[in-house]
Amino acid sequence: MAKALDIPDLDADTVFRDAAARAVEVRTEELFDHAEGVLDLDDIERVHDMRVASRRLRAVLEIFGPCFPKRQLRSALADVKQLADSLGERRDPDVAVSSLEQIGAGLTSDDAPGLDSLIAELNSERRAANEDLAATLEETQRSGLQVRLMALAAEARRT
Amino acid sequence: MKARAVKGLDCDGTLADNAERIVRVRLDELHRLAPAALDPSQSEALHDMRIAAKRLRYALEATLPAFGPGAARGIEVAKELQGTLGEIHDCDVMVEVAHAHARELRAEDGAAVRAALDPRAEDLDPGLLRLAPNRARYRGLEALVTYLRVRRDVLFAQFAEQWAELDRQGFRKALERAVSERPEPAEHQPAQ
Repeated sequence: MAKALDIPDLDADTVFRDAAARAVEVRTEELFDHAEGVLDLDDIERVHDMRVASRRLRAVLEIFGPCFPKRQLRSALADVKQLADSLGERRDPDVAVSSLEQIGAGLTSDDAPGLDSLIAELNSERRAANEDLAATLEETQRSGLQVRLMALAAEARRT
Repeated sequence: MKARAVKGLDCDGTLADNAERIVRVRLDELHRLAPAALDPSQSEALHDMRIAAKRLRYALEATLPAFGPGAARGIEVAKELQGTLGEIHDCDVMVEVAHAHARELRAEDGAAVRAALDPRAEDLDPGLLRLAPNRARYRGLEALVTYLRVRRDVLFAQFAEQWAELDRQGFRKALERAVSERPEPAEHQPAQ
């Protein structure tokens, strides 16, 4: 899992709204930096890293919530949540397949057909979830989420 | 589980004072959920406690420079709890997935046997079960469910021990103290 980027120049005396702006800027950049290759079904770590980044962004939006204009925050938060959910739908079968493969290694060959059948079903869910994720990523781009998040950070400083 | 609102936040106040309020609420939330979560049959309470641990962790991660050195321990603890509770949750989810899959297989098998049934027959010929395409698959799924249930018990015992140890160490008070402290300004730190 990718380590979270440090939020620069934060200390105890930083004004809360400035901390809010910096946190959202850093976490937004982090999220979109992880978008490359996220639809690659052969590399399950990319989707994991982007999912964690989406959770961290969502967390700072909630933690610093009172510093942002309500309407813009609600809209951005809903879109970040939708992206996080799509990443989760893709990630969950990744984890399940990997875990079943490990468990399967400890069972006998007589047990294999049941696990193989479940793995096949989960792989089919992964492919469907990947298509949904592709659509969500397109929508994220189309709706200018990254720009809206940066504008939200700027608003926190101004308000 | 909806997060409890944090009252009295002041956007023009300092990060430290606001973050302390947030962390105290998240810490209290975690502790309030513990009694129910320590009942192994309360899957939802365990799930809620995992979410509460995650919220505490992210609140500390986002505001850590505001606090004294002891606050970093809170991140480690929250991460450990989140890890154990997450694995318990994964077992619960996977048991449901395995059961749902077995139900689908049984439905397919039932349809295959029904399709082969002679409408004039007075009873079902057991030999028709050989036509059930999934008959060799149930055994592995049953073994999987057994494994997941026992692993859940093992993980739950670990969680209960983790929580008891945190209680013995006075984790809550230590973290409350850490978030009430402010880091020394760099220029006041003694030379190494």
